[in-house]
Amino acid sequence: MASSVFWKSWIRIGSDLVVVPPYNRFSWRCCCYRTARWYKQPNCLAATGNNKINFCAKPSWVTSLSNDIWWGNSDSRRCCGSNVNGSTNGNYKSDYLRISDEELMSQCEMDTFKASGPGGQHRNKRESAVRLKHTPTGIIAQAVEDRSQHKNRASALSRLRTLIALKVRNPVELDAYVPPQELLQILPASSTLRGSRSGPQIGPNNPKYVLGLQALLDLIFAVNGSIKDAAVMLGLSTGALSRLILSDDSLRMAVNEFRASKSMKPLK
Amino acid sequence: MATSVGSKFLDLDNGPDSTLLHRELNWLIQDSLGEGEPATLSCAASASSSGSTSSKKVVKLRTCLDDLYRLWKERIEDRRPFQYLVGCEHWRDLVLSVEEGVLIPRPETELIVDFVEDVLAENYGDGLKEGLWADLGTGSGALAIAIGRILGCNGRVIATDLSPVAVAVTEYNVKRYCLQDKVKVKQGSWFEPLEESEVELGGIVSNPPYIPSDNIAGLQAEVSKHEPILALDGGANGMKDLLHLCNGAASMLRPGGFFAFETNGEQQSQFLAGYMESELGGRLVDIKIESDLAGIPRFVKGFKAR
Ligand SMILES: C[S@@+](CC[C@H](N)C(=O)[O-])C[C@H]1O[C@@H](n2cnc3c(N)ncnc32)[C@H](O)[C@@H]1O
Repeated sequence: MASSVFWKSWIRIGSDLVVVPPYNRFSWRCCCYRTARWYKQPNCLAATGNNKINFCAKPSWVTSLSNDIWWGNSDSRRCCGSNVNGSTNGNYKSDYLRISDEELMSQCEMDTFKASGPGGQHRNKRESAVRLKHTPTGIIAQAVEDRSQHKNRASALSRLRTLIALKVRNPVELDAYVPPQELLQILPASSTLRGSRSGPQIGPNNPKYVLGLQALLDLIFAVNGSIKDAAVMLGLSTGALSRLILSDDSLRMAVNEFRASKSMKPLK
Repeated sequence: MATSVGSKFLDLDNGPDSTLLHRELNWLIQDSLGEGEPATLSCAASASSSGSTSSKKVVKLRTCLDDLYRLWKERIEDRRPFQYLVGCEHWRDLVLSVEEGVLIPRPETELIVDFVEDVLAENYGDGLKEGLWADLGTGSGALAIAIGRILGCNGRVIATDLSPVAVAVTEYNVKRYCLQDKVKVKQGSWFEPLEESEVELGGIVSNPPYIPSDNIAGLQAEVSKHEPILALDGGANGMKDLLHLCNGAASMLRPGGFFAFETNGEQQSQFLAGYMESELGGRLVDIKIESDLAGIPRFVKGFKAR
């Protein structure tokens, strides 16, 4: 599968491009611009519970968003369709997204994929894939596409933050609900609750986005998947909130998965 | 071409299979794209599969297609390592220039920099951050450059290598990262190039050749046919250089100084750790074996006694 995607892109270049040959052998400088890229970019990887690495043609690494939803607080753990938290481990503190990278790493087991053979100097294979397992929740994030182990680790960590936002639910007090600041920050300007303090709307590339993402999903779960109800709480029109949800693939999928569990129609 | 390889190389000598080759091919294309072109082409592929006609794109390449094709042919037919084709390797957050004659830095080795980072964070009071460090057998300069970037403003690194190609490539890489004031590159065997004034080292790191001579012929072709033997062959049991470095560390480190060495795996790590404990008269202490991310006990690290 992966092969065909890459292969096609190769063929495409072959047929469509205009060649400008400025150098006869490209030097290493051509690689520089990509150095920081993987830190930001969600990528082509499915976050799965097994060791298999899945490539996909488009960013869809949450396709297999598993069925476990974690409730951030044991008293409020509830069942929601198939999203049952079968944990017996008691209290979960769900401030995982507020802690530093180092602290989050310390809650993780990290490994690379079974490299066959002795590795090290023996080997030239860039399987520098990194897999992180967040032990408190069991959420697994991995990254394989970059050429350095270091950057795969950074990608896996930022992916883990997004997965935590998507999967770890905190209970919401609906009476007298006030959206947290992080949530206001990801809302479009049309929200009547957004004050000047909220600043410009932030998107998925901003590290703070995941906090807003988590709070938004908490709210949608609390109102049982009703976009209309959630929109009212956020001072938005139903249409504006739908557009926000549809603008982010992983958010859309998480919402639709939850709605499906309530036999509601998916947002399109 | 990449697809037809299937698992042939894998079965032959544990070489790359089609999946890996396709990943490399994608990187090759990324590297050949001009500045400002989209970093990945999978968008073109997915757009075309959804039947859009607007997916035709004009992209600028830095090299002509015939050259790309010729390079890729070398990759498959000669098993020339991908990193030599494109002339660089991504290692930690660095992009290092590499060429035939210098070892392509390995992902495992990235962890040594993490160890140094930890030590610098803990031992700030000891001034290791402002001290003199040595990367012995520096190759492309990977460890020297990464460490040069995390030392304090007075911290310095000496990088040595016996190979003139390695010295030249390291000098080039050091310049690319504007570290000429921090990283000094010297040609010569292990500690030899160090001057009298440079014998009180705050830290020593090294990834010396550690493969037992007998194993060299059986390595995957990318390594055995293309990478320098000087960078790989560690003598009959692979420990010739490691032992020399251990002895050197015991005398060249200043009290409280740190060392970390990469090894071939569990056997070598245990042997080295045992040797340090029993044969060096307690001069090296706090000796620990660390595993790489695949779980192989890969590194031996510790300190010079105070
Ligand atoms: C396995 S490579 C490591 C290169 C680099 N440090 C890295 O990790 O990518 C070993 C290096 O040691 C160098 N070397 C071999 N014998 C040496 C000697 N006697 N003195 C100094 N360097 C030596 C080789 O040229 C090679 O660059």
